[in-house]
Amino acid sequence: MSAAIPQDGGRAGTLALTAAGVVVFAFAPMILRAAVGGTAPYWIDVLNTVGLYTMLALSLNVILGHAGMFHMGHAAFFAVGAYTTAILNLTFGWSIISTMPAAALAAGLLAAVVAWPIIHLRGDYLLIVTIGIVEIVRIALTNDVFGLTGGPNGLVGIARPKIFGFPVVRPQHFFYFIWTMVALSVLLFHWLENSRFGRALKFIKEDTLAAENIGVNTTGHKLMAFVVGAAWAGVAGTIFASRMRTISPESFNFSESVLLFTIVILGGKGNQKGVILGSFLVMGLPELFRSFQDKRLLVFGAALVVMMIFRPEGLLPSRASRFRLPAPWKERYGGGSPPAGRPGADGGGTGGHDAAGGNLAAGVNDAGGGNLAPGGDDAGGGAA
Amino acid sequence: MKKFLFGCLVLAALAATGPAGPAGAQGPIKIGVMAPVTGDWASEGQDMVRVVEILAAEVNAAGGVNGVPVVVEVADDSGTPKTAALAAQKLLTSQVVAVVGTYGSSVTEASQDIYDEGGVVQVATGSTKISLSGKGLPRFFRTCPRDDEQGRVLANNVKELGYKRAALVHDNTSYAKGLADEARAIFKEVGVEEVYFDAINPQDRDFTVSLTKIKAANPDVIVFTGYYPQAGLMLRQKRDLGFDVPMIGGDATNNTALIENAGREAAAGYLFVSPPALADMKTESADRLMLTYQEKYDAQPGSVWAVLAGDAFLVLVEAVRAVGPDSDKMAEWLKTGLNNYQGLSGTISFDEHGDRIGEVYRLYKVSDEGEFVMQ
Amino acid sequence: MLDFDFFLQQLSNGLTRGSIYALIALGYTMVYGVMKLINFAHGELFTLGAYFGYALLVTRGIGASLGPPLAIGVTMIMVVGLTALAGHLLERVAYRPLRHSDRLAAVVSALGASIFLQNAIMLKWGAQYRAYGADLLPNVVFHIGGFNLPLVRVLVFVMAVAVMACLHLFIHRTRLGLAVRAAAIDQGAAKLMGIDVRRVIAVVFIIGPALGGLAGLLVGLYYGQINFNMGQLYGLKAFTAAIIGGIGNITGAMVGGMLLGLLEALGEGYVSSSWKDALTFVVLIMILVVRPTGLLPERVAEKL
Repeated sequence: MSAAIPQDGGRAGTLALTAAGVVVFAFAPMILRAAVGGTAPYWIDVLNTVGLYTMLALSLNVILGHAGMFHMGHAAFFAVGAYTTAILNLTFGWSIISTMPAAALAAGLLAAVVAWPIIHLRGDYLLIVTIGIVEIVRIALTNDVFGLTGGPNGLVGIARPKIFGFPVVRPQHFFYFIWTMVALSVLLFHWLENSRFGRALKFIKEDTLAAENIGVNTTGHKLMAFVVGAAWAGVAGTIFASRMRTISPESFNFSESVLLFTIVILGGKGNQKGVILGSFLVMGLPELFRSFQDKRLLVFGAALVVMMIFRPEGLLPSRASRFRLPAPWKERYGGGSPPAGRPGADGGGTGGHDAAGGNLAAGVNDAGGGNLAPGGDDAGGGAA
Repeated sequence: MKKFLFGCLVLAALAATGPAGPAGAQGPIKIGVMAPVTGDWASEGQDMVRVVEILAAEVNAAGGVNGVPVVVEVADDSGTPKTAALAAQKLLTSQVVAVVGTYGSSVTEASQDIYDEGGVVQVATGSTKISLSGKGLPRFFRTCPRDDEQGRVLANNVKELGYKRAALVHDNTSYAKGLADEARAIFKEVGVEEVYFDAINPQDRDFTVSLTKIKAANPDVIVFTGYYPQAGLMLRQKRDLGFDVPMIGGDATNNTALIENAGREAAAGYLFVSPPALADMKTESADRLMLTYQEKYDAQPGSVWAVLAGDAFLVLVEAVRAVGPDSDKMAEWLKTGLNNYQGLSGTISFDEHGDRIGEVYRLYKVSDEGEFVMQ
Repeated sequence: MLDFDFFLQQLSNGLTRGSIYALIALGYTMVYGVMKLINFAHGELFTLGAYFGYALLVTRGIGASLGPPLAIGVTMIMVVGLTALAGHLLERVAYRPLRHSDRLAAVVSALGASIFLQNAIMLKWGAQYRAYGADLLPNVVFHIGGFNLPLVRVLVFVMAVAVMACLHLFIHRTRLGLAVRAAAIDQGAAKLMGIDVRRVIAVVFIIGPALGGLAGLLVGLYYGQINFNMGQLYGLKAFTAAIIGGIGNITGAMVGGMLLGLLEALGEGYVSSSWKDALTFVVLIMILVVRPTGLLPERVAEKL
């Protein structure tokens, strides 16, 4: 899962942009310090939160965007990861990094167990069941299940991670740690999307019946997507636990799940860039709106509605077809309908909005915003 | 149209960020207030901010601190640990010397390390969880008492009032569970039998099921450690069930809205322990605050916690006045130099852990007229 | 100790809660039936209804000036009208522009609208819990053996059942109701049959919120206490109820609501109140595992 990703010829520009983005990000703390002076640590911490939610949203994207399962209970797996790390670290003295695989395993295992009976449920029924799961997990944590979770108080005093002996303490340390993990997530899920497994998922999402008929194991693939997404959310839980140093059930409630769901749909489900942009907006805007004081969430809610009306398929919709297909196939299905359905009035001429989106992100972070919303690059592709 | 709207949104976003303002060393003294201005505990947070802003205006009208004006910097923590971590970071980078807040214990917990590492004095106002102090954080203080003290006062009052069979009800929040556990332990010591112990869900409105179950356990008192909205509903539903047993609660029920919610008739006779209400503080500064608040907002602060935020602000101002805006010196001075300072809620001193010294709890009873009467 | 009286008590507790859940669930299910949209802002419309009632009865004080029975009647009509209007506006602003888009886009728009409304209510009426005042409704309690039944509780139940009966008649006995049913089965075909689907959508977005608003008012009157974010929990529970019944099915919403109320009351009564919500969801999951589209599913399969 290194950077050796097959790219279309036309995407060399994107590659350059990505490289530029990586460079900008590498120096983001310094740039921020130069730009905003003393408040830089705060903005770095905002970026850290954005990064953490990007990780979570990318992992949800596998389930919601790629496999097309309406999953609104992702916070449950995030919670299991965080609690696994906390318990192993506090009770058994494991180092944070060594708890990471365990957190992934625990979250993945829970996902496998709970998803098994419900994986066949249709859209909205799955949605409420996943909400149910996140509530059950939260209630179990609150009731101090097995005497391990500390009840409503949660767990306190979790260690900070050490990477090759280097302690990760300050916001800028976490910045590199978290965003490296984000980059890793991007690579991992990009690879997954373009793997045989990812293509099968896409097929299942487009037409479950057809996929089944040609012998794709739809249940198995969906389950796998669920488990992979959940496990990665568990990893994010490890980072969350060690960054906050204290976790309690209220951090993993239903509204957390809703937030993640919103990020993926707002950004453009299935599209990694969109999901990253979504994280910037959903996690960043409430911070930007701080000066509105008690009106900040009001403004945020309105902004969500407005953004959705402008870009009903998400800010950066996923492309209809990204695979190199045999020519005759391409002729028949090539630019055809994106999964989201009718592109409506929004298909063309959206450059202006995109630029605006870029500006918004730029507000969060002068450095990162620009490269995350690379203009009309993706927008045009949606509706051919 | 769409573009226009989007443009407005972008402008709003940019306007909201504002200039990053260089933090000069010679500027005004900045004191942060971290409070839940939005979210479930918004009413508490908004009151905290109002009280501190009124007091800050008073301080500034009197010439500031050693001639330097005080500026209050508000950061919303939404009552959640995650947002609190960001709010704390935000205040740190705004160059505050000290922070007032916040309300919930788990929210405070999430911000403690950040303030500690940032070298800022934090004075919590409603966070009563025991373990918050004694962590070896030299700059942490609180103006509210701890759960164990309240648990002791609560349990002892139950004993002294002659009750023998207690039903303990909490709401599974960190605060209420902690208090219930404390009371439970003391009940064992003093010989009050515990006949029921369970939680209600604070988001529910219907507690008749729990009440029916409690009734079946036949207690002679219900001890409820949760918050006033639920206490009010329980009192009312208890009366509707014809379940005539006294109820006693903790300081989170010290809110006049309790009477409105329960109705006078059902609330009459309800007992609770709490730091004194604003009207019973009988200090000069408290009386003044009552007047100003009434004038400005046509109401009284809903609870005692906002008043304790005011106290936190006042002791911080005193500390700056005594040793200047240096957080280490301020922390040291608060522990050693501050002796029986006359705050809003009475005299304030801190012990070596930053906990407030002295007995602050009083027993209150709701009169037939629906007033809180200090016993 | 846990005898038959206790069981009766929980039964009545459950039915009261269930009535409220059912009324709210109807709003979810009607909107879903026609638009295939989970209206996440529905819980906030419910809250809005409670606050409209508060504004009329307490702030305007019509409870004191008109006398309780008349005041409550007037308030009920006004609240139903006002929430219907709010629901209609919500549809125009947040959902109509998205009618031809991906359904999930409308879900996020609904979530945004829900955040907006919740905070708008907080800013307008304050973050404190608000009380209706305890003296609006007569405090009459029937004692039947060891079992207590407050009159208000009977009224809430009767009210809810009456409203649901009317709705049932409307859906099954009127032309407009027929149009609603047709649009729920297949919007395209309904359009071809000359049904004005836009009008149908407008209708469900008036009836649904109106019922939600009424439920809000009943909560205010019965429990006496409202706050700005109460719609979250009630919304979630009612949505659960709608799903249990089979979303899109109107009878299903009523059955699901009552069932959920009973489930909660019995779970709380016989197991533990700390675990009751978890228990409810476990039962929900079990129901869906056995019957993947709820107890009374929609007639036609949803197009994915």
